[in-house]
Amino acid sequence: MRYGFVIDQRKCIGCHACTVACKEENRVPLGAFRTWVKYVERGTFPDTRRYFAVLRCNHCDSAPCVTICPTVALYRRADGIVDFDGARCIGCKSCMQACPYDALYIDPDTHTAAKCNYCAHRVEVGLEPACVIVCPEQAIVAGDLDNPSATIARLVATEQVQVRKPEQGTRPKVFYLGADASALSPTLQKTSERFMWAQRSADDLDLVRMVAAAHDSVEADGTLSRSVYDVSHLPRPWGWRVAAYLWTKSIAAGALLVSALGLLAGAAEGGRLTGLVAPIVTVLFLALTTALLIGDLKRPDRFHYILTKGNRTSWLVWGAWILMAYGAVALAWLLAALADHVGLLWLLAIPAIVLGAAAAGYSAFLFRQAEGRDFWQSPLLLPQLLVAALVAGAACLIPLHVMLGGEPGKLAALALAFSASLVLYAMVLLAELFGAHSGLDVRRAAHLITRGPLRRGFWVGVVGGGLALPLILVWFGTPGAVLASVLALVGLWIYEDLWVKAGQSLPLS
Amino acid sequence: MTIEPLHPAARELPAPAGGLASYPPVERWSDWVEYDPVAWPRKVERRYALIPTICFNCEAACGLLAYVDKQTLQIQKFEGNPTHPGSRGRNCAKGPATLNQVYDPERIRQPLRRVGPRGGGHWEPVSWDEALDDIAGRIRRALLEGRQKEIMYHLGRPGHELVYLQRVFHAWGIDGHNSHTNVCSASARAGYAFWHGMDRPSPDHANARVILLLSSHLETGHYFNPHAQRIMEAKMRGAQVCVIDTRLSNTASMADWWLSPWPGSEAALLLAIANLLVQEGRYDREFVRRWTNWEEYLRSERPDLPVTFRAFEGALRELYAAYTPEFAEAESGVEAVKIREVARAVGRAGSALATHIWRNTAAGNLGGWQVARALEWIVVLMGAVSTEGGTAPSAWNKAIPAPPMMPPPGKVWSELLMPREYPLAFFEMSFLLPHLLREGRGKLAMYFTRVYNPVWTNPDGMSWVEMLGDEAKVERHACLTPVWSETAWFADYVLPMGVGSERHDLMSQETHAARWIGFRQPVLRVALERQGKTFDWTWQAHEAAGLGQVWEEDEFWIALSWRIDPDGALGIRKYFESPYRPGQMLRVEEFYRWIFEHSVAGLPEAARAEGLTPLAYMRKYGSFLVEDGVYRTHEQPVPAPDLEGAIVDPVTKVAAKNGAAVGVEIDGQVCLGFPTPSRKLEFFSATLKAWKWPEQAVPGYIRSHVARGEIDRDRGEMVLLPTFRLPTLIHTRSGNAKWLYEISHTNPLWLHPEDAARVGVTTDDLLKVATRIGYFVDRVWVTEAIRPGVVACSHHLGRWRLSEDAGGERWSTALVDLRQTAPGQWRMRQIHGVRPFQSDDRDSQRIWWEEAGVHQNLTFPVQPDPVSGQHCWHQKVTVSRPGPDDRYGDIFVDTAKSFEVYREWLALARPAPGPGGLRRPLWLPRAFKPDPSAYRLEGGA
Repeated sequence: MRYGFVIDQRKCIGCHACTVACKEENRVPLGAFRTWVKYVERGTFPDTRRYFAVLRCNHCDSAPCVTICPTVALYRRADGIVDFDGARCIGCKSCMQACPYDALYIDPDTHTAAKCNYCAHRVEVGLEPACVIVCPEQAIVAGDLDNPSATIARLVATEQVQVRKPEQGTRPKVFYLGADASALSPTLQKTSERFMWAQRSADDLDLVRMVAAAHDSVEADGTLSRSVYDVSHLPRPWGWRVAAYLWTKSIAAGALLVSALGLLAGAAEGGRLTGLVAPIVTVLFLALTTALLIGDLKRPDRFHYILTKGNRTSWLVWGAWILMAYGAVALAWLLAALADHVGLLWLLAIPAIVLGAAAAGYSAFLFRQAEGRDFWQSPLLLPQLLVAALVAGAACLIPLHVMLGGEPGKLAALALAFSASLVLYAMVLLAELFGAHSGLDVRRAAHLITRGPLRRGFWVGVVGGGLALPLILVWFGTPGAVLASVLALVGLWIYEDLWVKAGQSLPLS
Repeated sequence: MTIEPLHPAARELPAPAGGLASYPPVERWSDWVEYDPVAWPRKVERRYALIPTICFNCEAACGLLAYVDKQTLQIQKFEGNPTHPGSRGRNCAKGPATLNQVYDPERIRQPLRRVGPRGGGHWEPVSWDEALDDIAGRIRRALLEGRQKEIMYHLGRPGHELVYLQRVFHAWGIDGHNSHTNVCSASARAGYAFWHGMDRPSPDHANARVILLLSSHLETGHYFNPHAQRIMEAKMRGAQVCVIDTRLSNTASMADWWLSPWPGSEAALLLAIANLLVQEGRYDREFVRRWTNWEEYLRSERPDLPVTFRAFEGALRELYAAYTPEFAEAESGVEAVKIREVARAVGRAGSALATHIWRNTAAGNLGGWQVARALEWIVVLMGAVSTEGGTAPSAWNKAIPAPPMMPPPGKVWSELLMPREYPLAFFEMSFLLPHLLREGRGKLAMYFTRVYNPVWTNPDGMSWVEMLGDEAKVERHACLTPVWSETAWFADYVLPMGVGSERHDLMSQETHAARWIGFRQPVLRVALERQGKTFDWTWQAHEAAGLGQVWEEDEFWIALSWRIDPDGALGIRKYFESPYRPGQMLRVEEFYRWIFEHSVAGLPEAARAEGLTPLAYMRKYGSFLVEDGVYRTHEQPVPAPDLEGAIVDPVTKVAAKNGAAVGVEIDGQVCLGFPTPSRKLEFFSATLKAWKWPEQAVPGYIRSHVARGEIDRDRGEMVLLPTFRLPTLIHTRSGNAKWLYEISHTNPLWLHPEDAARVGVTTDDLLKVATRIGYFVDRVWVTEAIRPGVVACSHHLGRWRLSEDAGGERWSTALVDLRQTAPGQWRMRQIHGVRPFQSDDRDSQRIWWEEAGVHQNLTFPVQPDPVSGQHCWHQKVTVSRPGPDDRYGDIFVDTAKSFEVYREWLALARPAPGPGGLRRPLWLPRAFKPDPSAYRLEGGA
């Protein structure tokens, strides 16, 4: 039993009845939509046409939102419906990043995620979804794809159907019949700053203007369609807190990681810096990281659901456990150092390194689960995060080392580690932004950073201030090294911010 | 799950797909359990009574099924009514949005009376008794003093009220029914009526091979949802669709051909198609011979020819020879090759040619009625009149049951409704009222507006503001409305009336080749009565359900009529007494009970089969199919009893009995024919000829006031096409629907890139559009979806209010400053657009749009077509970039100039009397026909 939809765009007249019936049935608030109709236009007068597409949750068999949801607030029912339970949702918005189809929104009353759930409450009493029965053209067909005699199964079997973004591997169960490709694919559309009878929301408009500025010459292609009606989606669900979380986490991961590596390499002995200050930095920044994560939740009061209602497939949950384990190791490290137990430090070094790397690197897997965002799918993300942690760790230990009046010899070792990791970091960054891109959206996102509206932050803040200058300054004595460290940390923060922004800037639908 | 056959129409519903049903089975409608969608996935049960009613948003009269929560008495939702033969359980966006209208936090919940000067914006609550007494007293005085013409009722959305109110106003003995039709569909109606005496087309889209639309029935118009269903059904079966529309509508986008003619050239284009059919002999000769009045044409216009069909065919070829596709291309800009293609498709369609024009170009252009006539000419040529897949006259696909006791018409003719200059005007010259009063043609003692907003909807709204502000011209103005409107602001009473689910109406529309009735009913009252509560008046039920003192309109007229004639001395009261309880006041349910028991063929039997009374049947199902598969009504033989004693005129072949035509003899058999003087399809209209329009007696092409040659683009002149609708809105009745306004809230000016470059603007820039009487400033939407030289703007937006927290729906209106800078010179400026506001609906804080659109209609002078009387909406305008002081939404109007333009257009008219000293041809339909004696023009009004 697998419920799905066929949307017959040969019949759909773009009347918005489904949109409104859905709002009525499910009490969807203004500003949010569980289903909506997109209009695009193409051609030159009098050979112009407008095309419609009814867009909504695809009830994917391999649903990224279900995988990423940390609290199983989203789940696939046995009948194939991807349903949600607002009572479990913590409002982390990761589902909005995972979904390649813009299907989810945050309900302004409950502050929890919601989307089309196939009117599961109606299915329960044997009724078709509200959009299906209202449609004047019966262009929305609901039913069991596994039942060969059902209309929907016959249509899918005997007509040419397509799905949105099949390359995402999500196995959508919303099949389109006779749809215009450009209405289904945002990459084939030119955006507009207003629509034929509606405005765009103010937030949406800012983003559209920014992205339009970065589009390259391909956009002038007359075969592209112009989006002439659409609805707004929450632009960039993850804001500065998420960028800041990546940064604080780099520091937390790096401080102890670098110290432990130093210990094993024989460059450190577990003195005040590596023994006491480094774990304190780690614990403090882990606390900060946690605070940022909780602060970014729409339902911070439910943060503990990550642990009590955890979803084992979600890297948000794994991340939480990793951070906690890492925090425990850091505390143990601190206690061992306070007890002056160097042997114990040696014992703790391996878990510290493994968990430090995990703390730094798990986000790569988390962002990988944010399948809607192509830019975040880069294989270089894991190395980038690991190296960033090394840079951050070294950069934060250098000034602390100086403050504690540490030996110059050790400073040199730190500076060397700092420079080496910074060079590595630069290489990863350049490869990520200027290497071969896996797709148009990836290239566009990279262009936003390197050539588009984000370029100043990148070239001045990251490349100039965060990479080049530190690599020079670090060789100019103690003050140079301290300044280099601070600049590198600032650069890291700026890059995380640009990276988080750029990844969420391109339209999903 | 099985569904009992509810109704013949229900059997057409496809089997539930995948095991899911579309609707709860009808036997469980009285107690249906569903889970609360918001609490889901927790299973919280809600119990509903499912009560059918009829949507009130457009005229299509689609079925709705209200889910009334039995515990809270709140309406949870409106779905479609699966037993409704027209809409078949499906709706457009406006159907479910009815819920917004019921629970609109801005709605008016008690009667209000003006305090201070009219239009000053101060109001006090008043009791219904006080309001009714005052209004009834004024009407009684006017009737007693012989001032019957001073009572006027002006409505926007008609329905069954056409019959209901005919009863009321005939009982009062007045000629006081005014409509919106002359700003809407009068030209198209006139075009059809000159052909077949009925005023609308009823295409059988579902069975058509070719569908030719001068309309946008896949998104708007009468009857959008039912027609859109059947158009696409045909298309999926392989029918071809051609849409003729200057702008690219959604409908045009779905069509096989989109022809975008220069506005006003459509008749030329259609006649070119007709000409190709005639010249190539691709028409139905037999049908044309049998059913058109070609003999009358030859006798009257071609005495040089023998009266033979062959001679007529020759004459036809001569008559239309000039309408070549190349000529049409020169007029319209549509390539001749495309015109040929469409003509060929039409030729192949045979009698399965479904066509429609409702407003579109007919409403825009001088001579628009000839466009409808040209379109119907193609239908007639193809023999597609009332065939399977063809186009029938409307009345044959409607069921209008007779009410109890119809009073005879009054012997009064109101020249404020039908001035003598417009003897053929298809409806009342409603939009000229301010000018007619300004000319001193009369005054109004009592003026009702009902779901009508002339200040906003009509052209030249500032003249309406001036008129309504003048208490010498309009002594009392009562606005019957569920919501605030621009017009309500200038009323003395604002009387809250129910929305769709709070009224009674008996509806029937020509949605397809069938005849059905739909029953609009106040669902909360019905739900409460099912719980054992009883009410004398529906408003009491509304109050009990928490809506406030919202009246049911039928009851309003009953209550008012009793107060006008409390003792029955005026002979009015008797029409408002119960047919079941002599001498007692008619209860609204008795009125419908009587109709269902006496006037709907088959209904009493169907009800009996279910063990129900006819009224209970209609309360349960909300609709009834009277007859299906209605075709070729004109061919039906006249029943023998009717023929007995009838005389067939040897020349015209019209069969008449006691002076009234009953049919026409065709090839030896007397058939029903058409309600025209010739009882045939009038290719040649002797009426038009006799009433001073001989040059328009056959389908022809009138060059519009905005024809290509009238527009000098180098001087910045363009045609403004201000008439198109959006799929989500309905005139001024949807401003209270947040879900609709969220989707559509602004009306930018569509401009072709070529024109945008010429003027030097791009999307989002402001543009100033100047008409004869003023200007407005709006944003630009540059698009390839409009013909170069034409600027288009939807008429659905641009609502405004004069006070921050009253006088207009805050979902949809801009707050404006309106001032008179000099006598007759009005300036409007938007203070702010739509903003979030506090209310008990949390959504009002979430309003994210700011624009309310721009009210272009204010800047249009009246442009009455001299024949149909229709306001010709298209404007010749000058567009330019705005100056530094111009802002979005600015409007300027000079009403002195409006009056000037009115006089210019008035001069085009050819006034009555016509033959016999009449004001109007007796046969020509009129909404509420006065007594024939009132038709005589005896030296004065």
